[in-house]
Amino acid sequence: MTEKVMNCEETKRHVHEYLQKELSEAELESITTHIANCDHCEWEYDFEAALNRTIQMSCTETPAEEIAEKILERIRSIDLNDIQH
Amino acid sequence: MTITLGFYDSAIDFGLMTEEATPLDAEAKRIQFEEQAMPLAPYLYSAALKNTRGNYYDAEDLVQETFIKAFKAWHQFEQGTELKSWLSTILRNTYINKFNKKKKDKAVGGLDDLEDWQLGSAESMSAVKELSAEVESLKALSSKEVNAAMRALSPEFRSVVFMAIVEQLSYAEIAEQLEVPIGTVMSRLHRGKAKLRKLLAEFAKSEGYNVEGEES
Repeated sequence: MTEKVMNCEETKRHVHEYLQKELSEAELESITTHIANCDHCEWEYDFEAALNRTIQMSCTETPAEEIAEKILERIRSIDLNDIQH
Repeated sequence: MTITLGFYDSAIDFGLMTEEATPLDAEAKRIQFEEQAMPLAPYLYSAALKNTRGNYYDAEDLVQETFIKAFKAWHQFEQGTELKSWLSTILRNTYINKFNKKKKDKAVGGLDDLEDWQLGSAESMSAVKELSAEVESLKALSSKEVNAAMRALSPEFRSVVFMAIVEQLSYAEIAEQLEVPIGTVMSRLHRGKAKLRKLLAEFAKSEGYNVEGEES
Protein backbone atom coordinates (compact mmCIF):
# COMPACT_ATOMS: atom_id res chain seq x y z
CA MET A 1 0.00 0.00 0.00
CA THR A 2 1.29 3.38 -0.88
CA GLU A 3 1.07 5.87 1.87
CA LYS A 4 -0.59 9.06 0.88
CA VAL A 5 -2.55 11.75 2.54
CA MET A 6 -6.16 11.64 1.49
CA ASN A 7 -7.72 14.64 -0.16
CA CYS A 8 -10.89 16.32 1.10
CA GLU A 9 -13.20 14.19 -1.03
CA GLU A 10 -11.71 10.93 0.15
CA THR A 11 -11.58 12.12 3.72
CA LYS A 12 -15.21 13.07 3.64
CA ARG A 13 -16.08 9.76 2.16
CA HIS A 14 -14.51 7.88 5.06
CA VAL A 15 -16.10 9.81 7.88
CA HIS A 16 -18.46 7.04 8.84
CA GLU A 17 -15.79 4.35 9.01
CA TYR A 18 -13.65 6.74 10.96
CA LEU A 19 -16.32 7.36 13.55
CA GLN A 20 -17.13 3.66 13.74
CA LYS A 21 -13.45 2.78 14.00
CA GLU A 22 -13.62 0.57 10.93
CA LEU A 23 -10.48 1.83 9.22
CA SER A 24 -7.15 0.20 8.61
CA GLU A 25 -4.19 1.78 10.37
CA ALA A 26 -2.85 3.24 7.14
CA GLU A 27 -6.21 4.82 6.32
CA LEU A 28 -6.59 6.08 9.85
CA GLU A 29 -3.19 7.71 9.74
CA SER A 30 -3.85 9.23 6.38
CA ILE A 31 -7.11 10.74 7.59
CA THR A 32 -5.67 11.95 10.86
CA THR A 33 -2.93 13.71 8.96
CA HIS A 34 -5.42 15.30 6.63
CA ILE A 35 -7.71 16.47 9.42
CA ALA A 36 -4.79 17.95 11.32
CA ASN A 37 -4.08 20.17 8.35
CA CYS A 38 -7.54 20.93 7.11
CA ASP A 39 -9.90 23.02 9.21
CA HIS A 40 -12.79 22.37 6.95
CA CYS A 41 -12.56 18.59 7.19
CA GLU A 42 -11.97 18.80 10.90
CA TRP A 43 -15.24 20.68 11.26
CA GLU A 44 -16.97 18.24 8.97
CA TYR A 45 -15.85 15.40 11.21
CA ASP A 46 -16.93 17.24 14.33
CA PHE A 47 -20.26 17.91 12.74
CA GLU A 48 -20.74 14.29 11.70
CA ALA A 49 -19.86 13.12 15.19
CA ALA A 50 -22.32 15.60 16.70
CA LEU A 51 -25.01 14.54 14.24
CA ASN A 52 -24.47 10.88 15.07
CA ARG A 53 -24.74 11.57 18.79
CA THR A 54 -27.92 13.55 18.23
CA ILE A 55 -29.46 10.75 16.20
CA GLN A 56 -28.47 8.16 18.78
CA MET A 57 -29.96 10.18 21.58
CA SER A 58 -33.19 10.81 19.76
CA CYS A 59 -33.64 7.12 19.07
CA THR A 60 -32.85 5.85 22.52
CA GLU A 61 -35.24 8.29 24.16
CA THR A 62 -38.50 6.54 23.56
CA PRO A 63 -41.83 8.25 23.36
CA ALA A 64 -42.81 5.66 25.97
CA GLU A 65 -45.44 7.75 27.70
CA GLU A 66 -47.37 8.44 24.55
CA ILE A 67 -47.31 4.81 23.52
CA ALA A 68 -48.19 3.61 27.00
CA GLU A 69 -51.21 5.91 27.03
CA LYS A 70 -52.45 4.56 23.73
CA ILE A 71 -51.99 1.00 24.96
CA LEU A 72 -53.80 1.67 28.22
CA GLU A 73 -56.68 3.20 26.37
CA ARG A 74 -57.01 0.12 24.20
CA ILE A 75 -56.56 -2.29 27.06
CA ARG A 76 -59.26 -0.59 29.09
CA SER A 77 -61.69 -1.05 26.26
CA ILE A 78 -61.11 -4.80 26.18
CA ASP A 79 -63.46 -6.88 28.27
CA LEU A 80 -61.54 -9.86 29.57
CA ASN A 81 -64.80 -11.65 30.22
CA ASP A 82 -65.26 -11.97 26.48
CA ILE A 83 -61.93 -13.65 26.04
CA GLN A 84 -61.14 -16.14 28.74
CA HIS A 85 -63.67 -18.79 27.97
CA MET B 1 -40.43 -40.58 28.50
CA THR B 2 -42.49 -37.82 29.99
CA ILE B 3 -44.29 -35.17 28.10
CA THR B 4 -44.33 -31.78 29.68
CA LEU B 5 -47.57 -30.01 29.22
CA GLY B 6 -46.24 -26.71 30.40
CA PHE B 7 -48.63 -24.01 31.37
CA TYR B 8 -51.75 -25.79 30.12
CA ASP B 9 -51.10 -28.37 32.74
CA SER B 10 -50.84 -25.93 35.57
CA ALA B 11 -53.50 -23.63 34.19
CA ILE B 12 -56.00 -26.45 34.27
CA ASP B 13 -54.81 -27.38 37.75
CA PHE B 14 -55.51 -23.92 38.96
CA GLY B 15 -58.79 -23.80 37.15
CA LEU B 16 -57.78 -20.86 34.98
CA MET B 17 -58.78 -22.49 31.76
CA THR B 18 -62.17 -23.74 32.81
CA GLU B 19 -63.52 -21.17 35.18
CA GLU B 20 -65.16 -18.14 33.76
CA ALA B 21 -63.63 -14.94 34.87
CA THR B 22 -65.89 -12.85 37.03
CA PRO B 23 -65.90 -9.07 36.46
CA LEU B 24 -63.81 -8.62 39.59
CA ASP B 25 -61.21 -11.10 38.34
CA ALA B 26 -61.00 -9.26 35.07
CA GLU B 27 -60.53 -5.92 36.82
CA ALA B 28 -57.88 -7.34 39.13
CA LYS B 29 -56.07 -8.82 36.17
CA ARG B 30 -56.16 -5.57 34.30
CA ILE B 31 -54.60 -3.78 37.26
CA GLN B 32 -52.01 -6.51 37.62
CA PHE B 33 -51.17 -6.29 33.94
CA GLU B 34 -50.86 -2.53 34.03
CA GLU B 35 -48.59 -2.67 37.05
CA GLN B 36 -46.34 -5.42 35.81
CA ALA B 37 -46.26 -5.18 32.05
CA MET B 38 -46.62 -1.48 31.30
CA PRO B 39 -43.29 -0.45 32.87
CA LEU B 40 -41.64 -2.64 30.25
CA ALA B 41 -43.03 -0.54 27.39
CA PRO B 42 -39.78 1.42 26.80
CA TYR B 43 -37.79 -1.80 26.69
CA LEU B 44 -40.17 -3.34 24.19
CA TYR B 45 -40.22 -0.19 22.12
CA SER B 46 -36.46 -0.26 21.63
CA ALA B 47 -36.66 -3.95 20.74
CA ALA B 48 -39.39 -3.09 18.24
CA LEU B 49 -37.29 -0.30 16.76
CA LYS B 50 -34.50 -2.77 16.14
CA ASN B 51 -36.86 -5.27 14.60
CA THR B 52 -38.33 -2.70 12.27
CA ARG B 53 -34.93 -1.13 11.56
CA GLY B 54 -35.81 2.25 12.83
CA ASN B 55 -39.29 2.46 11.42
CA TYR B 56 -41.02 4.41 14.19
CA TYR B 57 -44.53 3.88 12.90
CA ASP B 58 -44.14 0.14 12.60
CA ALA B 59 -42.36 -0.01 15.95
CA GLU B 60 -45.24 1.78 17.66
CA ASP B 61 -47.77 -0.50 16.01
CA LEU B 62 -45.73 -3.50 16.96
CA VAL B 63 -45.49 -2.49 20.61
CA GLN B 64 -49.18 -1.71 20.80
CA GLU B 65 -50.14 -4.97 19.23
CA THR B 66 -47.77 -6.87 21.48
CA PHE B 67 -49.34 -5.38 24.59
CA ILE B 68 -52.87 -6.04 23.39
CA LYS B 69 -52.00 -9.66 22.68
CA ALA B 70 -50.18 -9.98 25.98
CA PHE B 71 -53.15 -8.53 27.80
CA LYS B 72 -55.56 -10.93 26.16
CA ALA B 73 -53.25 -13.81 27.02
CA TRP B 74 -52.41 -12.51 30.47
CA HIS B 75 -54.02 -15.53 32.13
CA GLN B 76 -51.37 -17.63 30.40
CA PHE B 77 -48.49 -15.76 31.96
CA GLU B 78 -47.04 -17.66 34.88
CA GLN B 79 -46.41 -15.30 37.75
CA GLY B 80 -42.82 -15.55 38.92
CA THR B 81 -41.37 -16.27 35.50
CA GLU B 82 -39.53 -13.70 33.43
CA LEU B 83 -42.12 -11.26 32.10
CA LYS B 84 -39.60 -9.51 29.88
CA SER B 85 -38.89 -12.64 27.88
CA TRP B 86 -42.57 -13.58 27.75
CA LEU B 87 -43.35 -10.19 26.23
CA SER B 88 -40.31 -10.37 23.96
CA THR B 89 -41.52 -13.66 22.56
CA ILE B 90 -44.91 -12.18 21.79
CA LEU B 91 -43.22 -9.20 20.18
CA ARG B 92 -41.03 -11.41 18.03
CA ASN B 93 -43.93 -13.56 16.89
CA THR B 94 -46.06 -10.53 16.18
CA TYR B 95 -43.25 -9.05 14.16
CA ILE B 96 -42.78 -12.20 12.13
CA ASN B 97 -46.48 -12.48 11.38
CA LYS B 98 -47.05 -8.85 10.69
CA PHE B 99 -44.00 -7.44 8.99
CA ASN B 100 -41.57 -10.04 7.93
CA LYS B 101 -43.20 -11.03 4.71
CA LYS B 102 -39.74 -11.78 3.41
CA LYS B 103 -40.02 -8.79 1.17
CA LYS B 104 -36.81 -7.79 -0.44
CA ASP B 105 -35.59 -4.32 0.07
CA LYS B 106 -36.44 -2.86 -3.28
CA ALA B 107 -34.02 -0.33 -4.62
CA VAL B 108 -35.52 2.87 -5.87
CA GLY B 109 -34.52 2.81 -9.51
CA GLY B 110 -31.18 4.34 -10.27
CA LEU B 111 -31.07 6.70 -7.33
CA ASP B 112 -28.95 4.38 -5.23
CA ASP B 113 -26.38 3.71 -7.85
CA LEU B 114 -25.10 7.23 -7.87
CA GLU B 115 -22.19 7.64 -5.60
CA ASP B 116 -22.73 11.26 -5.01
CA TRP B 117 -19.51 12.07 -3.21
CA GLN B 118 -17.99 11.44 -6.61
CA LEU B 119 -20.27 13.91 -8.27
CA GLY B 120 -18.57 16.80 -6.58
CA SER B 121 -19.98 18.36 -3.47
CA ALA B 122 -21.14 21.90 -3.50
CA GLU B 123 -22.31 21.62 0.10
CA SER B 124 -18.87 20.57 1.33
CA MET B 125 -17.55 23.94 0.26
CA SER B 126 -19.47 25.76 2.95
CA ALA B 127 -17.32 27.92 5.14
CA VAL B 128 -15.95 26.72 8.45
CA LYS B 129 -17.93 29.30 10.37
CA GLU B 130 -21.13 28.01 8.85
CA LEU B 131 -20.29 24.55 10.04
CA SER B 132 -19.57 25.70 13.55
CA ALA B 133 -22.91 27.50 13.62
CA GLU B 134 -24.51 24.33 12.37
CA VAL B 135 -22.97 22.28 15.17
CA GLU B 136 -24.27 24.82 17.68
CA SER B 137 -27.76 24.78 16.27
CA LEU B 138 -27.71 21.00 16.22
CA LYS B 139 -27.07 20.97 19.95
CA ALA B 140 -30.04 23.24 20.47
CA LEU B 141 -32.46 20.85 18.77
CA SER B 142 -34.58 18.53 20.86
CA SER B 143 -34.84 14.79 20.39
CA LYS B 144 -38.38 15.35 19.24
CA GLU B 145 -37.18 17.38 16.28
CA VAL B 146 -34.47 14.91 15.39
CA ASN B 147 -37.05 12.18 15.61
CA ALA B 148 -39.35 14.08 13.31
CA ALA B 149 -36.51 14.45 10.82
CA MET B 150 -35.79 10.72 11.01
CA ARG B 151 -39.46 10.00 10.39
CA ALA B 152 -39.38 12.23 7.36
CA LEU B 153 -36.71 10.10 5.69
CA SER B 154 -37.83 7.48 3.23
CA PRO B 155 -37.69 3.94 4.66
CA GLU B 156 -34.67 2.87 2.59
CA PHE B 157 -32.60 5.74 3.93
CA ARG B 158 -33.94 5.57 7.46
CA SER B 159 -33.13 1.88 7.80
CA VAL B 160 -29.54 2.41 6.82
CA VAL B 161 -29.10 5.50 8.99
CA PHE B 162 -30.64 3.67 11.94
CA MET B 163 -28.61 0.51 11.48
CA ALA B 164 -25.34 2.35 10.94
CA ILE B 165 -25.65 5.02 13.60
CA VAL B 166 -27.93 3.71 16.30
CA GLU B 167 -27.20 0.01 16.05
CA GLN B 168 -23.62 0.73 14.99
CA LEU B 169 -23.48 -2.04 12.41
CA SER B 170 -20.74 -2.09 9.81
CA TYR B 171 -21.40 -1.49 6.13
CA ALA B 172 -20.89 -5.18 5.50
CA GLU B 173 -23.41 -6.21 8.17
CA ILE B 174 -26.00 -3.77 6.87
CA ALA B 175 -25.45 -4.90 3.28
CA GLU B 176 -25.94 -8.50 4.34
CA GLN B 177 -29.11 -7.85 6.32
CA LEU B 178 -30.73 -5.70 3.67
CA GLU B 179 -29.41 -7.82 0.83
CA VAL B 180 -28.06 -4.86 -1.09
CA PRO B 181 -24.49 -4.10 -2.25
CA ILE B 182 -22.14 -2.29 0.11
CA GLY B 183 -21.96 0.63 -2.31
CA THR B 184 -25.71 1.05 -1.94
CA VAL B 185 -25.40 1.05 1.84
CA MET B 186 -22.72 3.73 1.70
CA SER B 187 -24.70 5.79 -0.75
CA ARG B 188 -27.92 5.54 1.27
CA LEU B 189 -26.17 6.45 4.49
CA HIS B 190 -24.54 9.41 2.85
CA ARG B 191 -27.75 10.61 1.26
CA GLY B 192 -29.83 9.88 4.32
CA LYS B 193 -27.54 11.92 6.52
CA ALA B 194 -27.40 14.74 4.00
CA LYS B 195 -31.18 14.84 3.97
CA LEU B 196 -31.32 14.76 7.78
CA ARG B 197 -28.86 17.55 7.97
CA LYS B 198 -30.94 19.65 5.64
CA LEU B 199 -34.11 18.99 7.61
CA LEU B 200 -32.42 19.76 10.91
CA ALA B 201 -31.03 23.00 9.53
CA GLU B 202 -34.58 23.93 8.53
CA PHE B 203 -35.89 23.13 12.01
CA ALA B 204 -33.09 25.12 13.57
CA LYS B 205 -33.80 28.05 11.32
CA SER B 206 -37.50 28.06 12.05
CA GLU B 207 -36.69 28.03 15.76
CA GLY B 208 -34.64 31.13 15.28
CA TYR B 209 -31.16 29.68 15.50
CA ASN B 210 -29.76 31.57 12.61
CA VAL B 211 -27.20 29.67 10.63
CA GLU B 212 -24.61 32.23 9.72
CA GLY B 213 -23.82 32.88 6.12
CA GLU B 214 -27.24 31.94 4.85
CA GLU B 215 -29.08 34.65 3.04
CA SER B 216 -32.71 35.00 3.77
